[in-house]
Amino acid sequence: MLGLSISNVSKVWNPAGPNPVQAITNLTLDVALGEFVVLLGPSGCGKSSLLYIVAGLENATSGTVTFDGLPVTQPSPERSLIFQEASLFPWLSVRENVGFGLSIRGRTPIERRDKVDALLRMVGLGGAGDRRPDELSGGMRQRAALARALAMDPKVLLMDEPFAALDIQTRARMQDHLLQIWQASVASVLLVTHSIDEALALADRIVVFTARPGQIKAEITVDAPRPRDLRSPEMIDLARRCEALLAEEVTKAFKEQELL
Amino acid sequence: MSDNTIETGDIAHKRKPVIAARWIAAAQATGWGVMSIGLFVAFWEFAWWRGWANPLLLPPPHIFLANLTDQFRFFDPNGQRIGALSSGGSIWSVLGVIGWSSMRVFLGLLFGFTASVIVGVGIRYFNIFGKLTLPLITMLAPISPVAWLPVAIFVFGIGNTPAIFLVFISIFFVMVLATLSQIDAVPKHYIQLARVMGASKRQIFLRVILPAILPGLFVTLRMNLFGAWMVVLIAEAVGVGSGLGQVTMMARNTFNASLVFFTMTLIGLTGFLFDQALRLIQRKVLWWIAPSNIGAL
Repeated sequence: MLGLSISNVSKVWNPAGPNPVQAITNLTLDVALGEFVVLLGPSGCGKSSLLYIVAGLENATSGTVTFDGLPVTQPSPERSLIFQEASLFPWLSVRENVGFGLSIRGRTPIERRDKVDALLRMVGLGGAGDRRPDELSGGMRQRAALARALAMDPKVLLMDEPFAALDIQTRARMQDHLLQIWQASVASVLLVTHSIDEALALADRIVVFTARPGQIKAEITVDAPRPRDLRSPEMIDLARRCEALLAEEVTKAFKEQELL
Repeated sequence: MSDNTIETGDIAHKRKPVIAARWIAAAQATGWGVMSIGLFVAFWEFAWWRGWANPLLLPPPHIFLANLTDQFRFFDPNGQRIGALSSGGSIWSVLGVIGWSSMRVFLGLLFGFTASVIVGVGIRYFNIFGKLTLPLITMLAPISPVAWLPVAIFVFGIGNTPAIFLVFISIFFVMVLATLSQIDAVPKHYIQLARVMGASKRQIFLRVILPAILPGLFVTLRMNLFGAWMVVLIAEAVGVGSGLGQVTMMARNTFNASLVFFTMTLIGLTGFLFDQALRLIQRKVLWWIAPSNIGAL
């Protein structure tokens, strides 16, 4: 089967230690080719753990993850990762950062240059190639990180709260930007967030997580065409539904913390 | 900060005034430096003028800098004539003596830096090597380099080697421990991203970990530079027979206070120039370290 397939995945952190933490239990989720799926849930519900497993950076304790029918055992450029912090390498220029993966593949600087410059223009950083990462604003850095991920021609973009550190205005623009780039490409997106608005603005499908141990509580399909007006009645209805679902889980998570 | 592509243009625009501001800042720093030393000298001269400072024991700068050629006679790059005057000492012999001391410090720092990074990396990435060496290194680290001096002379005899070895020892253990802590402080995301982009372990080490730890190691190196200078002087005074340390020791033995202070001035200047050189390297080679305003209020 094409696309990403997660079946019966469980993850226990620190299984042999004194305090094993059950992060995810028996989670099954498919992401079709080109689909935009948002994982929404309270903090610490294991959604980031799931992303790490899909990226191949962590192994599932049980269950399997396959991508295009092949089991995921290690990281691969076809599953690009974007973190909350851009994590650009400060010792490289923006252009070198974006071209890092290509140079790992053995492309020479001349071969890289056209592709990297095209990507930089695509994310709106056409003139910033020679800048150092610390000369860029948070939003610009995150766009450079997006370009770096896209340089690998990924089949799926894994994004761990990519816009959480940005201010609200920048965030909205970055979301538009991401949508344009995603629509122009064939990649799927699996994006983790705790913002309901972000989920509604972006997702084909919203997957609501329970509190730890993470399981799927509900799946909500959003059909509305993009760009979406989050103040329209349907969207407000959906937002209320998500809010209600999340509220239960947040209460549960708080209670659990009090007991501990 | 607004998030807008126009910003890129702005950055390019701001460059020129930044350079001018840098010159002004450099001039100001120099001004303050001159003031700082000037005040100290003025106080010393005042103390001499009032008769508080005995010119035989604490000769002020105008005395110990008065007859330079007289002082130069004591500097012999080849050493080996403790207490004796070398014939026709000139500025070149002084520079020769400074050169010897600097060479010992430089080589000691170079070997120490290289070896400690290699050992530190080995400890982190080769488990058995780490388990076998780390306890020993942690135990040897607190031993003062001065305590190593007899060992250095037993093993290497008299000459350059014990002095270089002592400088090496004075930074090696500290730098090994610094390498370990720097490696542990490399952001996990850097390594994860490199793995996702398909980097091999070797590539991750050479292209991510090494550039990520170098700036911190360089700061540690700079902090230990003065320690290295102190150690080389002791080594020269005792076990080498040439260099600034030997001249100081000779001045002490012959009760030549003027020569003591003259040599101290030279040591201070050389150490200062070394620090400036390291700073320059730091700025040119490790340019991604943001200008430090750590601890600013």
